[in-house]
Amino acid sequence: MAYSSILDWIVYDNPMESPFYPFGDAYNLPYDIAYKLWDIIGGTLAWLVNLILPDTNVGLRISEWLVCTQTNNFFALVLFMVIIFLVAFIAVLISLWEERKVLGRTMDRRGTMIGMWGFLQCVADGFKTFMKDNVQSTRADKMTYIWTASLIIGTSVFIDCLIPLSGRWFVVDYGAGILIVMGLYALAPFLILVSGWAQNNKYSLIGGIRAAEMMISYEVPMLIIIATMCLLNGSFNINDFVNNQYDTVWYIIPGIVGFITFLICSTAESERAPFDLAEAESELVEGWQTEYSGMKWGLIMLADYMRGATSCGMIVILFLGGWTLPFIDLTATGWTTWWPVPELVFLLKAWIVFFIMIMIRVGVGRVRTDSILNLGWKVFMPLAILNLVIVLALKVGGIF
Amino acid sequence: MTMEYLEKYRDGRHKCWKDLWIVRPIWTATKLLIRTTVHRPVTVLYPYEALWNPDNYRGRPGLDFNKCVGCGMCARMCPCAAIILVETPDDEGNPVMRPQINMGRCSFCAYCAEYCPLDAMTVTPIVELAEYTRADLIYGPRRLAYEHTTEGMKVILEETLLSDYNSGNGEKRVSPFKVDRPELDGNKCISCKKCAKACPVDAIKMVEHGVNAKGRPILWPEINDETCICCSNCVDDCPKDALHIKEVL
Repeated sequence: MAYSSILDWIVYDNPMESPFYPFGDAYNLPYDIAYKLWDIIGGTLAWLVNLILPDTNVGLRISEWLVCTQTNNFFALVLFMVIIFLVAFIAVLISLWEERKVLGRTMDRRGTMIGMWGFLQCVADGFKTFMKDNVQSTRADKMTYIWTASLIIGTSVFIDCLIPLSGRWFVVDYGAGILIVMGLYALAPFLILVSGWAQNNKYSLIGGIRAAEMMISYEVPMLIIIATMCLLNGSFNINDFVNNQYDTVWYIIPGIVGFITFLICSTAESERAPFDLAEAESELVEGWQTEYSGMKWGLIMLADYMRGATSCGMIVILFLGGWTLPFIDLTATGWTTWWPVPELVFLLKAWIVFFIMIMIRVGVGRVRTDSILNLGWKVFMPLAILNLVIVLALKVGGIF
Repeated sequence: MTMEYLEKYRDGRHKCWKDLWIVRPIWTATKLLIRTTVHRPVTVLYPYEALWNPDNYRGRPGLDFNKCVGCGMCARMCPCAAIILVETPDDEGNPVMRPQINMGRCSFCAYCAEYCPLDAMTVTPIVELAEYTRADLIYGPRRLAYEHTTEGMKVILEETLLSDYNSGNGEKRVSPFKVDRPELDGNKCISCKKCAKACPVDAIKMVEHGVNAKGRPILWPEINDETCICCSNCVDDCPKDALHIKEVL
């Protein structure tokens, strides 16, 4: 058989024309990238197999299997999730870097300084925790101890990946988008309580109880605000949220009360200072993470920042117009252009919101356990209701 | 209920919107961030940048080999016993005594530089002294050299004399090496000439003061005040305790 060029095996199909395209009519950029990436990888492998085993039945079968539509679709889905995760992961690392730099500059230090203006310090710290010894308490409830940590990390990574970066950068686009994100988001305090119990350590248990106690104080106003904003929008769909805000006005303007309350509540939700009661490293050794060491601690820390990024993403979607800019149609050239402006707009907005969170962390000391209950029920709750009243008035008045 | 909340912030401390609740600390922190972002950070990137050091910064001691006379004042004064005198060939190859410092023992007090009568021992700004073995920390006389010595690195010992203070010159400072000199108690001297041998600057000359009962010459040391550096080697070596350092000038 004649020598076949590698270009014979790499065909750039349009993924949307494939019968197994999973997103219906919507264009999906990461899936497109993943599909074409597998075109290259699978095509190269098929070409190599064809070179090694020419003119054989087996070789031909393998080569054809590697480039057929079904295989292409399967591996494209795998690569798609890898791409989605990597982008979310790098965005989280950048917000981590942002926090360390801003904190450092506020304290008149330099912050991290290792490589790329200090960005690589986060990576180095990650590697350090991965190489540490795995120390484990013999008296802990092993199964619960491991499973709760895995679930906390898993749900955090999952919700961060579920946050769409633009109308073309999403995992799923369906009616209950906001609800499923917030539902999974609210799971963590339960798992923290169970984990605190499983570790058989007084600090962990106190941290877990504090997490549960804190949750009942901020979760209710937070969900009221989400319901209010969904009422204003008329849909739970994230895409609708963004499009409606582009059509009318950013919801921060009618919902400024809700925005402030939601910002503080979501800071509490992601357990960042000043609401880090469950960790409280100056009171409880490391709170509910006391018994987790090495890689587990590193992943829990990553999950914490993923939850912070999710909070920022939710705020951007609910109040700040998502990936759109007012008066500028970023999608004017259609989704077919690969220039990543809407995604960058979204990430920049999220980082600006994260900056506000950092400034809250810089300026405010940790709240007491009793004052967070006061705060949740006596301040945030009336503010959430006030927000609801304003939104209802606007909705009934026919302005939105 | 609303009035209760408003009353809460009417305690005289909250006068404008910036005072409300957490706005004030965040506003302060933001102003601080702007201020610290504009000017340079306080910290320096140590291996790449260094802090400015004053001239008399007490790093490791440095030695001017040719200025040193080997009087041993530094070894005598060292509180950590880090300094010993070793025999070293000088530029002409003649064996001379020079200080050798064990940096593993040195406490960087700079007494050696302070008490050096000739200011041959100075302080240097060098503090990076890490070595792989303790033996490498022993600095010989030649290794102690530091070429960028400035006037400010010479630690000068000065004191106010009681006589000056009593006569109203309390501000006057003099070096003890200029005013203190060994003084001889003639009755104790046995003319052994050990002081003349011990003097590192040959300031002592043995002068004949008649003969003793056995007819041997009586030699008393005569100290040249100009060249004497007040190292008290003669005092230490005197077998009969006939010499003492006294404030004479």
